[in-house]
Amino acid sequence: MGFFYEKNNNQLEPPTPSKNPVKEHKEKQTLKTSLQANIKIVKATLGESTDIVIREIRIGNKGTLKAGIMYTDGLSDAPSIQKFIMESLMLEIKETELESELTPNPKLLDTIKDFALTVGEIRDVTDFDMLFTTLLSGNVILLIDGYSEGMTLGNKRWAERGVTESTTQTVIRGPREAFSENMRINTALIRRKIKDPNLWMESRDIGKRTKTNIAVMYIKGIANDDIVEELRLRLDRIDIDGILESGNIEELIQDSQMTTFPTVYNSERPDVVAAAILEGRIAIIVDGTPFVLTVPALFVEFFQSSEDYYQRADFTSLVRILRFFSFGIALLAPALFIAATTFHHEMIPTALLINLAAQREGVPFPAFIEALIMEITFEILREAGLRMPRAIGSAMSIVGAFVIGTAAVEAGMISAAMVIVVSITAIASFVSPTYDMAMSVRILRFVFMGLAASFGLFGITVGLIALILHLCSLRSYGIPYMYPIAPFNISGQKDTFIRLPIWKMFTRTPLISQENIKKQQNPASAKPGPEKDQ
Amino acid sequence: MKKGIFILLILSIFLTGCWNRRELNELGITLAIGIDKSDDEYLVSAQVVVPSEVSMKGGTGATPVTLIKGRGETVYEAIRKMTKGMSRKIYPGHLRMLIISESLAKEGIGDPLDLISRDWELRSDFYVAVARDATAEQILNVQTPLETIPANKMFSTLKVSEENWAATVGVTLDQLITDLRSDGKEAVLTGILVTGNSEIGSSKQNVETITPATSIKLDDLAVFKEDKLVGWLTEDESRGYNGIVNQVKNTVGTVSCPEGGKADIEVLHFKTKVKGIVKNGSPEVDLQVNIEANVGAVECRIDLTKPESIKILEKAYEKAVEETINHSIISVQEKYETDIFGFGNAIHRSNPKEWKTMKKQWNQHFTDLAANVKVDVKILKTGTVNNSVVVKRKD
Repeated sequence: MGFFYEKNNNQLEPPTPSKNPVKEHKEKQTLKTSLQANIKIVKATLGESTDIVIREIRIGNKGTLKAGIMYTDGLSDAPSIQKFIMESLMLEIKETELESELTPNPKLLDTIKDFALTVGEIRDVTDFDMLFTTLLSGNVILLIDGYSEGMTLGNKRWAERGVTESTTQTVIRGPREAFSENMRINTALIRRKIKDPNLWMESRDIGKRTKTNIAVMYIKGIANDDIVEELRLRLDRIDIDGILESGNIEELIQDSQMTTFPTVYNSERPDVVAAAILEGRIAIIVDGTPFVLTVPALFVEFFQSSEDYYQRADFTSLVRILRFFSFGIALLAPALFIAATTFHHEMIPTALLINLAAQREGVPFPAFIEALIMEITFEILREAGLRMPRAIGSAMSIVGAFVIGTAAVEAGMISAAMVIVVSITAIASFVSPTYDMAMSVRILRFVFMGLAASFGLFGITVGLIALILHLCSLRSYGIPYMYPIAPFNISGQKDTFIRLPIWKMFTRTPLISQENIKKQQNPASAKPGPEKDQ
Repeated sequence: MKKGIFILLILSIFLTGCWNRRELNELGITLAIGIDKSDDEYLVSAQVVVPSEVSMKGGTGATPVTLIKGRGETVYEAIRKMTKGMSRKIYPGHLRMLIISESLAKEGIGDPLDLISRDWELRSDFYVAVARDATAEQILNVQTPLETIPANKMFSTLKVSEENWAATVGVTLDQLITDLRSDGKEAVLTGILVTGNSEIGSSKQNVETITPATSIKLDDLAVFKEDKLVGWLTEDESRGYNGIVNQVKNTVGTVSCPEGGKADIEVLHFKTKVKGIVKNGSPEVDLQVNIEANVGAVECRIDLTKPESIKILEKAYEKAVEETINHSIISVQEKYETDIFGFGNAIHRSNPKEWKTMKKQWNQHFTDLAANVKVDVKILKTGTVNNSVVVKRKD
């Protein structure tokens, strides 16, 4: 037991900055002066991978300069390499008066950069670390014989999915676009919504082998600087081989691991992320995934859909209440049913009790086992439905509906009331606008069912108290998770269980954006309507 | 390691299992219990629901309830002995009716009620009634049409009749116990009658004809002195009783018209205020009755379009109510000498000091007590027509 526990303990600890990070390359290896030597090292390091193209050319006055061009086939745009790099260097330069200057001299590289290359993004390369990172990211490397310095030319282009419609967070009203796998497109989608010079972006590569590009976006002045600093710290202390999806980042930067509740929000909708940034949240965009993270995340945030702000406030308020109600059903319905039918028969109206008793005649299992069978069957169906090829999916749902719905009841294994309870629970759990919260409820539901089966309503009450205590103890980047319910904040109530009209919401959520919390400057004139004569 | 032990400790709570857990199909859902007494032994009968026969799907055609009997020196013993004849334990949490036989009621209901009020599984909101001229078992042995479960039939009948006719009174267990414990009010219970052949009553045959051979009916009120039944009120006295204790919700009263014939007054609102006074050392009560009513039906020649006629009807009904109330008070005073109206409580409220001396011989004081009844009737509406159809034709 002890051994097992200690072993486990290491995994449960939140990511801590390792004091002695093990470096892959012991020292930074600088570029050699000889082109041939450099090419040799590149070939050796990459194991002569066949997708690396290395082309040696001669440029300059009467071809006195030897140059090497390297790029990764498939990640770089070959036609534009030919047009804007090779043609410029080999042909067009001959038509200018510069050719005479292209002789080995200390300013040669600057001359080439300034006059010859018709490429937008150019950076200097001095060591092999950077050479490999940029080369494998799709950039073109230009090396010149005799110089221990090279250039990396931005020329990335690879096949990718464009901006398509969101599939995980669909809305009826609101923008349809969703993020894609390309980080640049994603940051552009956000920039397109917020044209503010204070929208700042920081980048870093995380993952020793994947070198995944990660961008942190926030509005300087609205976002809380302490939280930004905390996020930087947490990102910097990540020491891992690979980051393939933002979920990897999420697990490494969240506050508490011992919870089923998500403390980092994710979305694939640019408008949701833009709104979060405007509130003072910080977005973390990970290359290679359409899911963008935002921190800090509050409990109520997972009950808010972007559509809430695009449709009428009165309707939204009702829908919000419905969502919290459904959350309760999804969490407690089977537990309450078990408790009422096995312990608290006096709570059920007489007619219903007789009806339920009639259904239970001949059912061989106790109510708890019955509920467990149904819930697990449903979870199996749901999981199977997710992973199946789409063509088989519909066939499976027919089988599932038939097995759960009719056959089990007719065979007398399950009472019809239990099918109703499990179905309403399942439907209620889909009301949640975010998948993460629905998953959390799925786990807790079983805990509550166990409590109800052992202790009845008493157990449920104890469980609820524990749950509320736990929720109140959670923090997301220092912000209480239950804010603005606990600690209570009156202006936060404008957008919690109900949503007031936009012209009534004057401030951003305090705590998240500590500076500059005012959204609308003049409350008096904010109310829409015809001008009043006075 | 410490944490591991802690988790183990928490998990061990679940090992205790599910104490007190009872699945629905382990319950003998009992909706009515009858208590009889014979040969110094209690005979307790429980009307237990057969769920599969009551449900929507329809059963095998068997009876919707079954009657389980047990005998014992105490009620508790008798109830537990029932398990000898039944696979499920009695579950009285949804009890609707408690029937006590007349003979037991005459001996005293205090002892058998103790278990009923002490047991935690029983709620205290079921009705208690007395089986008149029958054993409780006979009452529970009758199948009823409309409501498949006889206990439900009795429960709803009491409720509906109390609200619409006001000659019966649904007394719940907690009310009954309050009355039994109170110095200033004695208890009453509604009687229940079984009419017809009780042999056929228990079979399905009984509900297969339009007019059931056997049926259960509510009867008038039983008067108690302490916990013993001393006699029965008549229907009029029962209605008077309900008027005095302010339990009339809705009823119909009949008055005579000045030129002969009858008219019905539909009472919508009935409010009685009892005020106790002590005059020269002897207690009195003032009863102020306020009634709001409609003209329900007119079976005589009276011109309802004239305000005077309404006045006449109001006066007539005032007189009728006053008479009913006075009659009930006097007959209870003379026949039973037991304060079922709670006048003692009224004196207790108004003259607490005098009450202390009076309460020991209250029933004697009650016998001599003078009641001043004042009735005020207001007729609000005359229904959807003005005059009787008969009047119109003759004009």
